[in-house]
Amino acid sequence: MSNSIDVFGAALSRRGFVKAGGVLLAGFGLAKAEGQQKAGVVDSLNPALAESWIEIHDDNTILIRTGKSDFGQGTIFTAYRQIVAEELCVPFEAITTVVSGDTDRTPDGGGTFDLLGHGMPNIRKAAAYVHHALLDLAAQRLAVPKDQLSVKDGVVSGGGKSLSYGDLVKGQKLNLTIPMKGDVNSMFGLVVDGNPPLKPVSQYTIVGKSFPNSVTVPKVTAKETWVTDVRLPGMMHARVVHPKTLGSKLVSVGALDKARCPNTQVVVKGNLVGVVAPTEWEAVKAGQQVASGTKWADWKGLPGDRRLFQFLKEDADWKTAPVAASKTNKGDVAAAMASSPKKLSATYQLPYLKHAPIGPTMAVADFRSDGTVYVYTHTQNAQALRTGIAHMLSTPVDRVVVRTFAGPGHYGRSNGGNAGAEDEAVILSQAVGKPVRVQWTRQDDLQWSTQSSAALSDVEIALDAKGGLSGYEINHYMPAMQDDRLVGAILAGLPTIPAPNEKGSVFGVANSMHDPWVYDAAPAVLERAYGTGQVGQNSSPLNVGLRDHSMRTPGQYQQNFPRELAITEAAALAGIDPLQFRLQHASEKRLLGVLESVRENSGWESRSKRPGVSNGVSRGQGVSVMFRSGTYWACVAHIAVNMASGAIKVEKVTVAVDPGIVVNPAQLKRQVEGGAVMGVSMALLEELRFDESGITANDWRSYPIATMADAPEIKVVLIHNPEVGTYGQGSEAANALAAPAIAGALFDATGKIARRLPLKPDYVQTLLKA
Amino acid sequence: MTTIVVNGVKREVQAPADTPLLYVLRNDLELSGPQFGCGMAQCGACSVLLNGKEVRSCITTLGSVAGKDVTTLEGLPARWAQHKGLSAADAAKTLHPIQAAWIEEQTPLCGFCQNGMMIKATELLEHTTSPSVAEIKEAFTTSGPSPHLCRCGSYTAIIQAVQRAASAMKGSQA
Repeated sequence: MSNSIDVFGAALSRRGFVKAGGVLLAGFGLAKAEGQQKAGVVDSLNPALAESWIEIHDDNTILIRTGKSDFGQGTIFTAYRQIVAEELCVPFEAITTVVSGDTDRTPDGGGTFDLLGHGMPNIRKAAAYVHHALLDLAAQRLAVPKDQLSVKDGVVSGGGKSLSYGDLVKGQKLNLTIPMKGDVNSMFGLVVDGNPPLKPVSQYTIVGKSFPNSVTVPKVTAKETWVTDVRLPGMMHARVVHPKTLGSKLVSVGALDKARCPNTQVVVKGNLVGVVAPTEWEAVKAGQQVASGTKWADWKGLPGDRRLFQFLKEDADWKTAPVAASKTNKGDVAAAMASSPKKLSATYQLPYLKHAPIGPTMAVADFRSDGTVYVYTHTQNAQALRTGIAHMLSTPVDRVVVRTFAGPGHYGRSNGGNAGAEDEAVILSQAVGKPVRVQWTRQDDLQWSTQSSAALSDVEIALDAKGGLSGYEINHYMPAMQDDRLVGAILAGLPTIPAPNEKGSVFGVANSMHDPWVYDAAPAVLERAYGTGQVGQNSSPLNVGLRDHSMRTPGQYQQNFPRELAITEAAALAGIDPLQFRLQHASEKRLLGVLESVRENSGWESRSKRPGVSNGVSRGQGVSVMFRSGTYWACVAHIAVNMASGAIKVEKVTVAVDPGIVVNPAQLKRQVEGGAVMGVSMALLEELRFDESGITANDWRSYPIATMADAPEIKVVLIHNPEVGTYGQGSEAANALAAPAIAGALFDATGKIARRLPLKPDYVQTLLKA
Repeated sequence: MTTIVVNGVKREVQAPADTPLLYVLRNDLELSGPQFGCGMAQCGACSVLLNGKEVRSCITTLGSVAGKDVTTLEGLPARWAQHKGLSAADAAKTLHPIQAAWIEEQTPLCGFCQNGMMIKATELLEHTTSPSVAEIKEAFTTSGPSPHLCRCGSYTAIIQAVQRAASAMKGSQA
């Protein structure tokens, strides 16, 4: 090759020849990073180089890199491989390695969410650039014009000759420089720029098939290296003694019995108290000992869960933050209300929830004598965590490396970087001069992690004379839901980003309209979202309070429950079947498709009267819909209500999902099943209990989640709609559908409307008696 | 010094006798199957088999298992091979049918709880060869100190995997 070749805006060049092997886009970035580590400085891969994204090896194997990580969605090990294999025209199995989530080994950064939305185009475009670069190479080597070449299974053919991708790179080191934009440390990370030609969906052969998840085998056979398995030479075990309340400053540190814990060091920095010991059991015992004698100032600054909604309604400031209005607002709602013969006015309430990962957060940190810091953790946004740690230490970001390992899924809690233990591990490692592993207890994880925001919504609905929806107004109220401050840094008095405030955008206190309106037939619609600061934060001497963080289907869950239950109520007011009422008010073909699908597949019975009570049990059916990240969803829940106890058993959940292109049917089905169970759990069981000082939940009994006995029969219907041409999200949303469908089914079964969650027996019993 | 038998191998452990077995397995013996989930026997992530019975290693002390047989996720293939009387060479290539079923059904989502799920399934299927769905639910919910919890909601996949494993184990015995 004479000079560099232009590949739709990317530049392909040969960096040299090699005697053995050969690679397009070889591991130069990785080698550079390793070299720099020796000098005490660690950089990210240069994302402009395709070698940072994809390596084509001379043995026809392929490596891909992504800054995203896996949280149980499997997407980076299934869908990402399928999409890259598709663009490159290679077998799925040719992609032998997926490097993910390490700041020094992956290019793009950004949070692990919306993987098939904002995340996917990067890897797809990178693959397309590489594909065209390989075609350019083949055109030169075969002396055949590019447009006369064809590729199948990684072999390029033309003019009666053929060469594999491996043949094309053999003996060379080739570079492809890809146009990039964006910020690696931001929530969304870097973005691959330009528009390389993409493979037409009509030619897909790999996307759409159920390939297995490559991490299943190691996880099932105990061969996976989990974050819990990270062991460094000289590593110490630590526990942190967290303050007594969410506003307590340290008064005095409890004594340590040196006879029982002879090798323990107590570290105190500001309000952060940690114990560090050579064995985990000594650290546990030392933590309990020190905690029992440590004195904290008292603080009461929370409304308590019993007074939460009164506080949100009467005391919280909803006026300072800008109000978000939906883009689809239209018509004159006031006029519709004034002229309506049938109206509905109601308030809906959702409690704080916990992400509640099965394993409490933990991390290992190695603060080295040369000032570099290595953090080993399970995070959804390694680059953001890296930035946060560097900020906390007031050190350049290139002296921090974050490595990401498999761990317990936590559903959004770390999409801004931090899950809890990382910064504490760094502070303690710096203090003792050794690698330190911080393991939170179940109680720490419930009381000191962030929560999914509570919310309330006021709805007004007007029907016309025929029972049609003539006016709809909803006002959503929710405290800020994205606090990415490092809690250990706050306790230790070290720098962090500011708490959510009225000036922030993504991290501000303003709310947004998260739940797109779908009932086009309504002539007048007014949707608004109000935000406020985190409850208790301003009055907490620690500036902590109830810290919130996005959780699976964030914000949209809080807005979709009131809307969908209100629509069910409106249908009843109109005397129309709630599923039929939705069909009558929607026009989007894909939405009608998922609704008709759940009607057929769930055994939905059109009826205007409630079924009777039989043996003290009343059964009902309910429906909900949602549009999220390119995907249309509909859900039907069938429940049985014990009329004496108020206990609800969800017997069956039917979900229809139309994401456009279904990338991997088997994996999507498992995601939807799992989401449905989480949704049942949120609807029936979950509510964060807290008093005026802090969170009182401290174990799985005080924050219960669904068990196998609670799991309903689940039917998932996947609607593959390739002509849509896009990949909709599949792993979120599924958890948000159940609650409004279950509450709708409760109404169907009993005639009682439950406008707050969870639907615990005592609440339902109270409704039944009313 | 305490002697325990882990996955068929006698191991000498220096840790104090009141150390929870979970920490011994993970930190002293460097096994990665059992996980720390709650430390209070409320979730099942740390489960192991103790003389064939599922126990929570987070609240089981090292001293209480002296001389007893502990099987972890790592030991399931050998446990099956021994049950089937396989040669050492064949045993090395074998997965326990429960693990094979978990792979076939693509059961794990994040997978953190699945150690305990597979251990519980082993206990169940060693005693009940064709469990009904109700029996499976009972095993994973009310039979032990607490339900086995999965936050990702993989219960449907677990039930299907247990059923698949049950028929594989029966077929293999016929």
